[in-house]
Amino acid sequence: MSWVGAVAASPLSRRNPTVKLALLFLVSLLLLVVFDPVTPGVLYLLGLAAVLGFARIPARTLLLAHLPFVGFALGILVVNALSRPGEVLVDLPPIRVSVEGLVVGSALALRSMAIGILSIGFIATTDPVALMTSLHQHARLSARVTFAVLAGYRMLQQLPREWQVIRQAQSVRSPLRARGGTRFGVRAFGTAAFALLVVSLRRGERLSQSLESRGLGRGPRTVWRPVPLGPADGLLLVCALGAVLLVMFVVGALGLSLGPDTLF
Amino acid sequence: MTATSAPASSTAPPAVRFEDVSVTFPRSNRAVLAGASFTIAAGERVVVLGPSGAGKSTLLAMVTGVVPHSVIADVTGTVTVGGRDTRDTEVVDLASLLGVLPQDPDSAVCLPGVEQELAFVLENRAVPPTEISARIDGALATVGAAALRGRATGTLSGGESQRVALAAALIGRPEILVLDEPTSMLDADGMRQVRDAVDAAARPGTVAVLLVEHRLDEYAGNRGIAGLPERCIVLGADGGIRHDGPTASVLPRAAGELHRAGCWLPCETELQAALGIPGGIAEPAVRRALLGLAGDPTGADAPPATVAGAVVLAGRALGVSRDPVPRRTGRFHRRRPGADRRALLSAVDVELRAGEIVAVLGRNGAGKSSLLLTLAGLLTPTGGTVAGERPGLVFQNPEHQFLGNTVREEVLVGLPADAGPRVERLLEEHGLGRLADRNPYRLSGGQKRRLSLAAMLAHKRASLLADEPTLGLDRRSTIATIAAFRRAAAAGTGILFSSHDVRTVATVADRVLLVADGRIVADGPAIEVLRGGEQLRRAGVTVPPLVAWLVATLDSGARVRRVLDALDASVDAGDRGAPAPDPGTAGPAAAPAVTR
Repeated sequence: MSWVGAVAASPLSRRNPTVKLALLFLVSLLLLVVFDPVTPGVLYLLGLAAVLGFARIPARTLLLAHLPFVGFALGILVVNALSRPGEVLVDLPPIRVSVEGLVVGSALALRSMAIGILSIGFIATTDPVALMTSLHQHARLSARVTFAVLAGYRMLQQLPREWQVIRQAQSVRSPLRARGGTRFGVRAFGTAAFALLVVSLRRGERLSQSLESRGLGRGPRTVWRPVPLGPADGLLLVCALGAVLLVMFVVGALGLSLGPDTLF
Repeated sequence: MTATSAPASSTAPPAVRFEDVSVTFPRSNRAVLAGASFTIAAGERVVVLGPSGAGKSTLLAMVTGVVPHSVIADVTGTVTVGGRDTRDTEVVDLASLLGVLPQDPDSAVCLPGVEQELAFVLENRAVPPTEISARIDGALATVGAAALRGRATGTLSGGESQRVALAAALIGRPEILVLDEPTSMLDADGMRQVRDAVDAAARPGTVAVLLVEHRLDEYAGNRGIAGLPERCIVLGADGGIRHDGPTASVLPRAAGELHRAGCWLPCETELQAALGIPGGIAEPAVRRALLGLAGDPTGADAPPATVAGAVVLAGRALGVSRDPVPRRTGRFHRRRPGADRRALLSAVDVELRAGEIVAVLGRNGAGKSSLLLTLAGLLTPTGGTVAGERPGLVFQNPEHQFLGNTVREEVLVGLPADAGPRVERLLEEHGLGRLADRNPYRLSGGQKRRLSLAAMLAHKRASLLADEPTLGLDRRSTIATIAAFRRAAAAGTGILFSSHDVRTVATVADRVLLVADGRIVADGPAIEVLRGGEQLRRAGVTVPPLVAWLVATLDSGARVRRVLDALDASVDAGDRGAPAPDPGTAGPAAAPAVTR
């Protein structure tokens, strides 16, 4: 089913999408109660090792995919380090960095990195169609929802091209600037966005009529190519959760863990 | 066909039955359908004709249940599909009886893969998974698209998309196939493929066909009336049924009326309406009449060939790709690796002179639109140069271009403050005066096109580029576009437009560029290019029979144009010799429903 996205065959790509999504969700949930930098740091490294070993993502893609998470993590780190009161580490007015701020900030930053690497592993190894089929099969998500998402996915693929055409069409009549280009200000952005909205709404309506005319939501349905759910998926879930709990336990045993009370 | 299905129809409920159906949409004082009654038997094939706004689409929407279930309207009368009242049956339940093929290839296919698209229909009908694969093969084979099975839908051409959508409509073994202008967005090849696929699907007579098609002249193709479904229902502008019966006898009877209403008709029917002589292009009397319209063969009375003005736009050794112009031209500009650098066209030399009208013909995806965008400076050429003043460009979808909140504001966009009076004049000239305060998005398709053309012409650029300016227009709007082009050209504008509409090209273009295999394969006077068989075939251009006969028979482009202009003029002049409407069949209460 790899014709949709660029999902290369890898051990992780063969696992059930719903299981992978559930795993991502559970690990994120567990990380919510962790406020020390060590646990998420170790988990990030473990996650990175797993992704490198089992996801077969090209290094360049992996690096690029890190960018949004790194940006987000840095933001959290800086905000916490600068704004949190506590023992002053660096005092160069107006900059003042506190130890507590640095600890909490790095914990939260590493948490987003840990969740980030797992998300990258999930997205890069999961075919959207298989995900939707699997969510319908194994998570009892209604077919109306899963197929609407898939149709939306197809629409999404056409959006950049549509946007480009609208921009071109609207720039034809705008005055030229000295250097030859046309201005693209807030107003122009607004009208172009509106045109895109109108065109997309129409297409969305037609797509939904097409889906309905194909008999979506008529009652009991069959699944032609079910997404397999096997013992290996259970093993993945158990091993991964086990590893996370083990890390949390060891860090706790070493006396390095911090709870939510660190925040206050 | 009717004979084979007759026994079935005596027992099975009719595929579709309308009983005195009237439909009025909210905020409208006029019924779109008025008192329509007819029955379509199982396996019967029907084409629905009528002027723009006569309720053809509403009729289809009533069959699919979209009206009144999804679109609110005031409906009286009863519609049954396969014996079930559409008012009491949900759209999805009707779906099991229907196969629907919509107009727009982009929204006809919903899912990312072809296999999945087809399997989806069967999954929804709870067909056992073991049967699905074989049925996918069967449906694709019927529409001649077996090779497309493994493809992603995003990579399909328009004609391929429509065939996959047709296979998806057929795979559930519907009782009735509803076709809503299925070929209007396709080029000649795509249209032929889809038409043949529809024919193949309907041949066994197990499925009834309800077709609405707007370019009947192109759909019928070389086979003329014989290429159309056997039965024909004609809707009037008032939403009533004007004629109902065998296509071969209804079309000649309704010819004049449909012609004057601005419908595109099969060649034979149109010629009968315009000349009053039946028999089509093969008939000697028709040929004599056409030659009569062409005027003096010596060309003595022909106007001098358009005096070629100065070159207003030129592309030299141009390479055309889909790569957009960079937003910034600074040092750090880097081409995105994903951008499509593949050259669509190379070594293009084009010159456009003041007052000249030039048409670009070629397949969908051959690079016609990209050529226009490159000439307009909106795409970066992969090689060569574009010289000339900044041209105007009218896009295929007028909505992409809209910037104003009203029609008047739309035309004023980018104009100096003192342009007011000129804009009013322009609005009148393009028949938009009445609509000046309306929202552009709320106009009809034809009005939107007129608006986008008027708004561009208001800028008085030295040259005008237009992408498929007559796509989806009825005959009257097409004639109006031709007139607007000629006015602009007479005022000195050089016009270059892409088109699939060979007849319009023959009517208006002085010169034709033929695009095929990544380059321009012909560039010359319209009549000469349209005569060339092999090159036309390579470019995927099909010349309709009337135009083919004219360019082969007449000695000058001016005479060809004179004949086509005279035929266009007859749309407004009224029919000269069609038999007077038979009182027994003309009224809305006519067509005593064929007894079945």
